[in-house]
Amino acid sequence: MREMHIIEILEKGPLASLTESEVGAINSHAETCTECRQAYEAAQISALLIRERATETMEPSPFFQTRVLAAWREQQAGDNVPAFWRLWKTAGALFASMAVTTAALAVFSFVAPGSETPDAGVAVSPYSEEAVVLGQNQGDDQLDYEQVLSAIYADDEVK
Amino acid sequence: MARQARAEDESAFAEIVRRYSPRVFSVAHRFFRQRSLVEDAAQEVFLKAFSQLESYEGRGSMEGWLTRIATNTCLNILRASKRRPELTSGDLTEDQNRWLDEQLSSTASELHRSAEHKMVAADLAERLLGTLSPEDRLALTLIDGEDATVSEVAEITGWSESKVKVRAFRARKKAREAMEKLLGAGRRRLGLDSSGAH
Repeated sequence: MREMHIIEILEKGPLASLTESEVGAINSHAETCTECRQAYEAAQISALLIRERATETMEPSPFFQTRVLAAWREQQAGDNVPAFWRLWKTAGALFASMAVTTAALAVFSFVAPGSETPDAGVAVSPYSEEAVVLGQNQGDDQLDYEQVLSAIYADDEVK
Repeated sequence: MARQARAEDESAFAEIVRRYSPRVFSVAHRFFRQRSLVEDAAQEVFLKAFSQLESYEGRGSMEGWLTRIATNTCLNILRASKRRPELTSGDLTEDQNRWLDEQLSSTASELHRSAEHKMVAADLAERLLGTLSPEDRLALTLIDGEDATVSEVAEITGWSESKVKVRAFRARKKAREAMEKLLGAGRRRLGLDSSGAH
């Protein structure tokens, strides 16, 4: 018998429903075909396991009815509360966190100390950091590029 | 009783729960082994049934109606979990591997069918069934495990008989292939050759 035909017999229905002739054919084929023998073995064990699992039973505990009724009452109570109130209750935490965030931002914006401004009467060198930052190095006495280079080379010649 | 329950009579609802809990539990137990999961599913079934009481028009038994709700509820729960890991020998406990080894060594017999062995077998079955889709698992459990006919399964599930046969066929194939892999690992563990000899 072809290998695939054996496999099909194994899978077409429960093993318990196989006829005597089908079982005989499988057994005789399995004597010569390792793969089919292993497939048959796997099918038998799989069927045994499924049957064992099916024989297990589970009874409801004495508290199950109490539990279901409590859940049912809670569901009934929930259904009687107006939809807007339920929404309000669930959104309460969100609103509270938004209010806290807004308050914190307001504190940091209006209460934090401001920065100091420089005194206008203090003399500042035209090429100092302060002058550059404050834009005070603009003026008629500012050296242009060629004058700066001349000044640098003149210093070198003196040295 | 359904009419009274529709009128939100708590005692009538309680009576429905009391009378049909064993049936709903047995349906849920096909899908889950842990008591907490079975109870959660059964509770969901009764709450859903109560909310759908208007759809129960008295055609057919209430037990059949609740069985269909329970079956669909459990299928939905399993579909939502989407966990169907491939089963390997490394996933099994020592007891489960030993049980398989005994099968390979042909030492298993009726004398070995102690309560502990049966529990190990049921655990192993649960692992095996967990590799199937919820629908395939249901078809295999009902037909191969509980000797249900194809038409009975079709009535419980609302599937066509062709669909039931296809699902059962596919489930048997997948279960056999998964078991072959486990047995292959067992043979290697025991040092057996392909003929089952050392």
